[in-house]
Amino acid sequence: MAINYNAKDEVDGGHGSNLVVGSHTGPGNAIGGSGPKSRRPDNTAFKQQRLPAWQPILTAGTVLPAFFIVGLIFIPIGIGVFVTSNNIREFEIDYTGTDEKDPCNKCLFWNDTKPCICEINFTLEQPFEGYVFMYYGLSNFYQNHRRYVKSRDDSQLNGDTDSLKNPSKECEPYRKDGDKPIAPCGAIANSMFNDTLELFQMNESSLIRVPLHKKGIAWWTDKNVKFRNPPGGNLSEVFKGTTKPLNWPKPVYELDEDPENNGFINEDFIVWMRTAALPTFRKLYRLIEKKGVLHPTLPVGQYLLRITYNYPVHTFDGRKRMILSTISWMGGKNPFLGIAYITVGSICFLLGVVLLVIHHKYGNRNNSADIPN
Amino acid sequence: MFDNWVDNRTIYVGHKEPPPGAEAYIPQKYPDNRIVSSKYTFWNFIPKNLFEQFRRIANFYFLIIFLVQLIIDTPTSPVTSGLPLFFVIAVTAIKQGYEDWLRHKADNAMNQCPVHFIQHGKLVRKQSRNLRVGDVVMVNDGETFPCDLIFLSSSREDGTCYVTTASLDGESSHKTYYAVQETKGFQTEEEIDNLHATVECEQPQPDLYKFVGRIHVYQERNEPVVRSLGSENLLLRGASLKNTEKIFGVAIYTGMETKMALNYQSKSQKRSVVEKSMNVFLVVYLCILISKALINTILKYVWQSDPFRDEPWFNQKTESERQRNLFLKAFTDFLAFMVLFNYIIPVSMYVTVEMQKFLGSYFLTWDEDMFDEETGEGPLVNTSDLNEELGQVEYIFTDKTGTLTENNMEFIECCIEGNVYVPHVICNGQILPNSGGIDMIDSSPGVSGKEREELFFRALCLCHTVQVKDDVLVDGQKKSPDSSRSCIYISSSPDEVALVEGIQRLGFTYLRLKDNHMEILNRDNDIERYELLDTLSFDSVRRRMSVIVKSASGDIYLFCKGADSAIFPRVSEGKIDQVRSRVERNAVEGLRTLCVAYKKCTQEEYDEIHELLHSAKVALQEREKKLAEAYDQIETNLILLGATAVEDRLRKAYTMKPSESRHQGLGSDRRQDGNSNYLIQAFRRKPLWLTTKKIEEQSLMTSFELLKTSLRVLSKDEDLAFIFYVSCRLSNDLQDFGLIIDGAALSLIMKPRQTGSSGNYRELFLEICRNCSAVLCCRMAPLQKAQIVKLIKLSKEHPITLAIGDGANDVSMILEAHVGIGIIGKEGRQAARNSDYAIPKFKHLKKMILVHGHFYYIRISELVQYFFYKNVCFIFPQFLYQFFCGFSQQPLYDTAYLTLYNISFTSLPILMYSLMEQHVTSDMLKRDPSLYRDIAKNALLRWRVFLYWTFLGVFDALVFFFGAYLMLENTTVTINGQVFGNWTFGTLVFTVLVFTVTLKLALDTHYWTWINHFVIWGSLIFYIIFSLLWGGIIWPFLSYQRMYFVFIQMLSSGPAWLGIILLIIVSLLPDILKKVLCRQLWPTATERTQVKITFLLYNYWFYCCKIRV
Repeated sequence: MAINYNAKDEVDGGHGSNLVVGSHTGPGNAIGGSGPKSRRPDNTAFKQQRLPAWQPILTAGTVLPAFFIVGLIFIPIGIGVFVTSNNIREFEIDYTGTDEKDPCNKCLFWNDTKPCICEINFTLEQPFEGYVFMYYGLSNFYQNHRRYVKSRDDSQLNGDTDSLKNPSKECEPYRKDGDKPIAPCGAIANSMFNDTLELFQMNESSLIRVPLHKKGIAWWTDKNVKFRNPPGGNLSEVFKGTTKPLNWPKPVYELDEDPENNGFINEDFIVWMRTAALPTFRKLYRLIEKKGVLHPTLPVGQYLLRITYNYPVHTFDGRKRMILSTISWMGGKNPFLGIAYITVGSICFLLGVVLLVIHHKYGNRNNSADIPN
Repeated sequence: MFDNWVDNRTIYVGHKEPPPGAEAYIPQKYPDNRIVSSKYTFWNFIPKNLFEQFRRIANFYFLIIFLVQLIIDTPTSPVTSGLPLFFVIAVTAIKQGYEDWLRHKADNAMNQCPVHFIQHGKLVRKQSRNLRVGDVVMVNDGETFPCDLIFLSSSREDGTCYVTTASLDGESSHKTYYAVQETKGFQTEEEIDNLHATVECEQPQPDLYKFVGRIHVYQERNEPVVRSLGSENLLLRGASLKNTEKIFGVAIYTGMETKMALNYQSKSQKRSVVEKSMNVFLVVYLCILISKALINTILKYVWQSDPFRDEPWFNQKTESERQRNLFLKAFTDFLAFMVLFNYIIPVSMYVTVEMQKFLGSYFLTWDEDMFDEETGEGPLVNTSDLNEELGQVEYIFTDKTGTLTENNMEFIECCIEGNVYVPHVICNGQILPNSGGIDMIDSSPGVSGKEREELFFRALCLCHTVQVKDDVLVDGQKKSPDSSRSCIYISSSPDEVALVEGIQRLGFTYLRLKDNHMEILNRDNDIERYELLDTLSFDSVRRRMSVIVKSASGDIYLFCKGADSAIFPRVSEGKIDQVRSRVERNAVEGLRTLCVAYKKCTQEEYDEIHELLHSAKVALQEREKKLAEAYDQIETNLILLGATAVEDRLRKAYTMKPSESRHQGLGSDRRQDGNSNYLIQAFRRKPLWLTTKKIEEQSLMTSFELLKTSLRVLSKDEDLAFIFYVSCRLSNDLQDFGLIIDGAALSLIMKPRQTGSSGNYRELFLEICRNCSAVLCCRMAPLQKAQIVKLIKLSKEHPITLAIGDGANDVSMILEAHVGIGIIGKEGRQAARNSDYAIPKFKHLKKMILVHGHFYYIRISELVQYFFYKNVCFIFPQFLYQFFCGFSQQPLYDTAYLTLYNISFTSLPILMYSLMEQHVTSDMLKRDPSLYRDIAKNALLRWRVFLYWTFLGVFDALVFFFGAYLMLENTTVTINGQVFGNWTFGTLVFTVLVFTVTLKLALDTHYWTWINHFVIWGSLIFYIIFSLLWGGIIWPFLSYQRMYFVFIQMLSSGPAWLGIILLIIVSLLPDILKKVLCRQLWPTATERTQVKITFLLYNYWFYCCKIRV
């Protein structure tokens, strides 16, 4: 039990001596009338809570126009976006090969030392104009698993020599192979997508290779700033003392012949290293440049997709797809945004109407109720 | 059955053993005279303080989270929760340590203050704390008693002393205490040392007015003399000696056992309703959090039961991870989920709430309207924990004297046989009947009238117990130029002082009492001397007093003054009807009235009277009864002279209160100031206070029944209905009941009973109280005040109570009520210091409750709800994300966003809102007290409101997450075909989140000052700038660069912009719709007021237009 009274009070109380004292003094002889002026609070608008202020109130009257305006703006935007999205050509082909009849079925259990190559025929029924983008898509692939996402060493990828020789602990169990540090370390790098996709246009008898560009598929900042090879001239010299990731057939400095696209700054590698948000994702694989105004990039016709099938996904029920897509100002095909805009716009418009009715029906009642007050 | 606790204690005065042969007493241990109010010592401060702090559910929770983060591998770093926790704990500890240090200092000052006590016949000084039970103590004039003492002797011959108990019960009057006949002769140190006596008394108990004991005085060879001791012999700690040179006493209760210490209750930590609901919400969220973590853990293991999911070839575990025990793994997973979702209860909420309360309380102290020019004092905030409780008050308990009234009695008028005299219009001692507004019943006072008039003034001059304080003792500065008229009067009754002063202005000045002669200065500046023969002192049963004086010419007069009801029946002559009508008129106006009568006696008659009085006074048994009978016999056949009226000024602006409490429709108690002025006036008529001396318990029950029925039956009766000690009246126009009860009656009600019917009276009383719109309780002991507050507080509806008072006797009431307010008044600062808030004047209470309380409440309730809302919005997407990342505890947002969301992106707008918001202007709140009802009963933190906010948060979170999901799922949104990763996804959700949550607050803001604009738009801009910077540089100290250019890349995509705008609007839409519809269809009083203001503005605008046209 804590007794809480201020012991000091007792003293004060004693001397405070509140006698009933009637002192007959002349009027105007105010005793102790002048208090210390300094304690008087400042008369500022802030301290007196009288700052000038805008005092908006959300009433049906003020919100009504806003609803109509939102409706009127959203519906056209939605229609525009929807139409744009519909004009985008997209073609998708699943080449996992789990089905018996699939051409790639044979690659599921491939035991040869030579890579398994399978070919898939397909027909484009509409011409693809402008730039065409080739994606590979994976499903049921948890690139966003916590253990996976953190299993990388950004300093190593940025060309730090210390991290190259001694990668971060986060890379475990893909940190070292024996005594040698792995470059690039970590689960992400180790599981890099390594199927090769080639596209051919089929004429009556011959196959015409569609030229695929592998530059410009990664973010510019990633390629030029975030990812860097360790300093030094020859890449194989630089990476000496490290070893390749376990699943890789070749070391990192042999990803490409082009020195601008080799090592850590290989764009396929960089694209892979950007972990996807969701277990079903697509990643940009190649670009197909446009041929000109008159000729579509990919005209209607028969095509052949040749796959060097290396990447196993069936063990975890995954799927692999190849996607061809054109691009508009708003990116790839995405009906969601357009539909959402149209829906929200219409809802707002409808609500506006409903509110208008309510406002007229009940508005007066409230006002009249106010008057007698 | 051997117990240390004995019913009685026996004290040897001066530690002298009783002579052999006396009864043997069981020795007891008594505490020393130390007062301890501090909480900690130097050694136990850190452990005890930490323990106290971690008893707070929130602190404990964050400690656990922090420890978990330290121990296991979690998605977020321990710094994110450890740093804020450490900060909060350290600041609180420093603050509490400082406060306790101050308490230690005060205690020490008190305990070390010197005390004189007698040892071996010599005066010795020692520190107060070393005083022991049995010590003989000497106290000088003006000093405070250091402990509870039995009064042994004083410097006065008659063995009396005067004491003021202002700091105990607020009574500033002088009370007379008596020494026992046998001890009063021991007047010097040596003599007192020879006193040989023992005191037997009860064990300490808190009742200030009750004491039972007896003293054995051993005299040489004779049988010991036994005398009974009562409260008139007990000098209480805290009271101080007045007008007596010195006294001796023996200590019987010391330290924490003194009645004063027992009357101060333990100060329990008061917590506001808002804090309570906050804690309940916290528990709800804790449950949500745990169930979220539990669900995710279970789902994780269900999902992982396929080995290719648990450990696909591309994502292998380390060897140690593989070998870990399954249950251990599951448990750490659970904890990791807890850590991931722990932001749902943010540490910053507590910091923000504390800051809001602390800073917000400054607005109270800064308020100019509550500053008192006279004293130069503004309001004080002793605790800011209860700010919002001011907006929740349902019952107000107020002290009257000094709180409602100024405790300044003023003589207003006198009425002599129907002629009214008002001293204000009198100049230079010339008495003129006031010409305006007087009942000129007898307009031509004849010669006899003149005589009567002078007799009346003489009567008032003589019939009192006022003492004159010598001019010499008063400091010279206060002397008025006219020194002959400057006297300082002291009396136990302020009315008497007022009367004597008033008469002074009418020409008769009471000079002094010298050698049993009263000297008065008459109008002709001659000194008249009267011999004071007898004083028939005032008591509350007779309600009158008399003096018997002998004039210089040998005439013997008996002057009697008292309440009208006490005088009129004893009057045989005089203009009774005229005086009675005047008295009644004055009483209705709330003035304190007294009637004056006289009787002329012959010497023979006087001798008879004297004999009668003497025989009564020496009686040992039933002395009081016999005295009363004698008085009754003497005070008969009086001749009525006239009446006086004295006003106890009501505090200014008090009269404005009633209307508003009626609006509140709240029950009231102890003069909850609601109700008509009439009741207050009735209250001020002291005669209404009745005592309960002769009431049996059975009759109490029946009278309550009677009261209950009469409450129902009485509907048109406008007279006061007395039911023994309880009076009840119903004003004519309003269906309001009032109850007046006094302290003695109350203690009968509150007394716990052994029989089965216990508590019955309490409930009855409570019910009666609740049916009355005002209840007056008079003559209350401090603890009784607290009891009655407690009674109401613990009643069924648990109403919020507010107690306001100015004296030390109000302290326990102030401590007991939910909110205690002290008035920085005349009766010391005890109340102000023990209160939660102190204000200079009672009138300030109105603004404090109606404006500040209202603002504080709406501000903090929005703060609490908003905090929970924004964290549901924040964390729920993370929860949803677990379903898409294999329940791997992958955070959706970057660490920087996780840490800064509550600290910087969304903290300032709500803090500023909670400091600045004014949904209605303060003038409007003051003018229309019915708005106060809109927030009564914790209206803004009810479950319905809480669920609304939570579901709004969940809805918004669903919109954010699935909006972003549908936008980014399996497609590209950039013009160059490049793809986004998981961090862009999180950043998109986070951007929508920050904007929505901030704009939601913007929608709720009704008072946009430049600060609000600055803070709301500023924090959005800050978020953008921070994100640009955070992603714009490769930060060398970070081990990861996952946010590099993510935000900028996102902004470079058109659909991202479209998506952000769309999602923000969709999230805000339901709230806007709800607001508009509720306002339109079911508007609250507040909302109507808001609209009214705008209408006024519109009208004004139209008016302006018209003029221009």
